Amino acid sequence: MLFDNVDFADLELPASTRVLRAEVRAFLREELDSGRIQPRLGHTEFDLAFTRRVAAHGWIGMTWPKQYGGQERSYLDRFVVTEEMLAVAAPCAAHWFGDRQTGPSLLRYGSEYQRTRFLPAIVRGEAAFALGMSEPGAGSDLAAVKTRAEKVDGGWRVTGQKVWTSWAHKADAFFVLCRTTPLGDDQKADRHAGLSQLIVEMKSEGVTVRPINFLNGRHQFNEVWLDNVLVPDAMVVGEIDSGWKQVTSELALERSGPERFMTTFPLLIELVRRFEKSDDARALEAIGRLVARFQALRRMSLGIALALDPASGGHGRDLATEASLVKDMGTLYEREIVEAARLLVSIEPDASALTDEDSLAAFERYLAQTIVCAPVATIRGGTTEVLRTIIARRLTGKL
Amino acid sequence: MNQGIGNEQRAMLVETATRIFATEIDHARLQTAKTAGIDRALWQVLADTGIPRLMLPEEAGGIGGSLADLAALLHLAGRAAAPVPIAETALLAAWMLDTSGVPMPEGPLTVAPVSGETVLAVRAPEGWRLNGRLRRVPWAAASEAIVLLAESTEGWVIALVDPRTLALRPGANLAREPRDDFDLVDHPLPAERVFPAGPGVSARALRMRGALARALMITGALERALELAIEHARTRVQFGRKIGAFQAIQHELARLAGEVAAARAASGSAVNALGRDDALIAVASAKIRASEAAGVGSMIAHQVHGAIGATDEYGLHHLSLRLWAWRDEFGNEAAWSTELGRSVLRSGADSLWPSLTAATRD
Repeated sequence: MLFDNVDFADLELPASTRVLRAEVRAFLREELDSGRIQPRLGHTEFDLAFTRRVAAHGWIGMTWPKQYGGQERSYLDRFVVTEEMLAVAAPCAAHWFGDRQTGPSLLRYGSEYQRTRFLPAIVRGEAAFALGMSEPGAGSDLAAVKTRAEKVDGGWRVTGQKVWTSWAHKADAFFVLCRTTPLGDDQKADRHAGLSQLIVEMKSEGVTVRPINFLNGRHQFNEVWLDNVLVPDAMVVGEIDSGWKQVTSELALERSGPERFMTTFPLLIELVRRFEKSDDARALEAIGRLVARFQALRRMSLGIALALDPASGGHGRDLATEASLVKDMGTLYEREIVEAARLLVSIEPDASALTDEDSLAAFERYLAQTIVCAPVATIRGGTTEVLRTIIARRLTGKL
Repeated sequence: MNQGIGNEQRAMLVETATRIFATEIDHARLQTAKTAGIDRALWQVLADTGIPRLMLPEEAGGIGGSLADLAALLHLAGRAAAPVPIAETALLAAWMLDTSGVPMPEGPLTVAPVSGETVLAVRAPEGWRLNGRLRRVPWAAASEAIVLLAESTEGWVIALVDPRTLALRPGANLAREPRDDFDLVDHPLPAERVFPAGPGVSARALRMRGALARALMITGALERALELAIEHARTRVQFGRKIGAFQAIQHELARLAGEVAAARAASGSAVNALGRDDALIAVASAKIRASEAAGVGSMIAHQVHGAIGATDEYGLHHLSLRLWAWRDEFGNEAAWSTELGRSVLRSGADSLWPSLTAATRD
């Protein structure tokens, strides 16, 4: 039914990951203690210097083939690195999309030229990618994108508007989902056909990036305007008109990773600190429940990573339903931590917590940051509602 | 602990048990069990396969199965709402007896105490005398022997008590599974019925095992409830459409699936944690998460079924009644959350993440 092929009883990380975890933990401890990084909750910060230091350890693109700079390590190793970064809210944005999406996409669909050019650069922390998916009229309904590309000699001319593009103002390039074959007038035509993925360099002529400040007052999101931008043929990812399949084919790992339930975890740690040695009955029960729910989500996520991991003898079976469940429940769980913290510790978080890194204790900062960012996790990467519809259709079949 | 019987043999065992439950258990049998308590015919078929002695080593007449092997069967028993004490016999009693070097009697067995009570055993001229007031002992009247865990000046002892020598006060959980009370007042037992408890056998260890057993059974029962809800959504027509085509129903099914998946992950993950020093996180999480899922999930299953699921003649209630009973047995989610929370707070904030990531396979 669900997780039929995952043996949770036997699901433990191999001892070799213990060494890796200790290395990552020691690295992060040093980063934090030295003040080089400052945890910030709500969204992951873009810190190129940090990304380069992570890259120096070989922790970006670590599952990729050696010929492209990777280390051919297991998904479980990557899982461990990811969860350690999340546990301290490390600023990973400069390599996040390259490591999680761009790299795997290029490995599966990219040309040899694209792989050779971009993958080693991502691994070294020298190429930051953003994702140009959403548009003003295409949020959950991604197939409604209107950005269009027209064939010209040697490439494509791209025109359109992307929105909510994270870190486009700092990225080197972004993946643009656009329409390469017009839809025409047939109302019954397959809307998923005729879409393609192109790599567009941010420095290209005709690309304009404008900031949209987020709820927390910070600049992460952007509008990106593409005005007749020339994209060479060599920057087409995979097949023209196959963009939809390419975008949706590898969602299982993406939807089930620890980032789907750990973005408020540092607040749970600080909540525990507030009640250390306490016998407060409400705190005991609430914290116990939060830990239990975390344990269940982490084991689900780990089960999927292991099942998909060729290096760990994973069977590679389709766990898309289970992955969607991790995102659905995980993102709601993140909010439960925030609500429990808010109600157990009656403070009114000060707005300075959103901008001033040093003014307040970690608990108050994290609480303020997670409250104002709370709506996002259940929207990005597939809204709760879209996910539930997908899950149910898989359970019931076509009706 | 046994190494287990291997993947191939486990698959055969699962197949056998699946077939037995499918052929033996039907709605009529479950209705009968509401008054009869145990289904003795089912028990006999299971006993013939050796399932009650699965975890005993071969030299003790068992199959040498591991806890993971038995967990697969408890999941199936939960799915089937099987009215037999498999968990009590094959997991709890077998463990207490085998660990203590005591041969396992034939027939269905049970264990006590299960509700946090204390039983005291003292030496007497005729052997031992036991004192304690026991509540909610599962299947006591139906069992051949009650494997009783008692404290004595010599440490934990286990006593084999014949329920026919007791004045039982019959009771039942919400699913009408027998849960009987009895008092031990200077209850005499010959020396050959009392044994020093083996290593690791304690009231706390028993409670943890019981909680894990219920978590595994809840997962099985809730998984079956999800299947029934899916089937209903695929076939039931209202407003001229299959109700599964309505987004409101779809989203409820997705939530139910999430509860099943979380219960499965949490309970399965606790199986090999038993006996480890840090077992509390895994076992408490299993019972907390499965018990939560039992409550939330059963309500969704009923809501999807509408009035059809709420009748005595439809199979869903055999599952939901058990879900509502099992979530409270061996500690409900509040009790385990409090215990887990206390442990987390005592260890401190900086130990939380290391303790959650500690388990690795060597």
